[in-house]
Amino acid sequence: MLSLHPQVSVRPEPFGALLYHFGTRRLSFLKDRRLLDVVQRLDGSTSVEDALTAVPEKERPAFRRALSTLEETGMLA
Amino acid sequence: MSDTEVLQVVEATVESTDVELVEEDLLVEDVSIDGMCGVY
Repeated sequence: MLSLHPQVSVRPEPFGALLYHFGTRRLSFLKDRRLLDVVQRLDGSTSVEDALTAVPEKERPAFRRALSTLEETGMLA
Repeated sequence: MSDTEVLQVVEATVESTDVELVEEDLLVEDVSIDGMCGVY
């Protein structure tokens, strides 16, 4: 189960959201507000698929890729 | 410097500086700010 890394700060923005990792000094721009909603649903006890329930099926592959990117860069752990 | 101040500085720097684009996705754009001398 994934959740936001404790060293990650989230700031909602008009374009989506800005994530900043204070440990790795990386920035991630979430370019869809729904992706922020999904990320915030990932609390360590919610599966990715459960977090994606509000996302239309045809758009979920892109959201899964985005979550994989966030995991690879340490934003999600 | 508070977290909010750091983010404001970083965001302003990203907007005004050529940074290395590490990875790009349809929904996520990831950049590293390592090497941004003078940011802090």
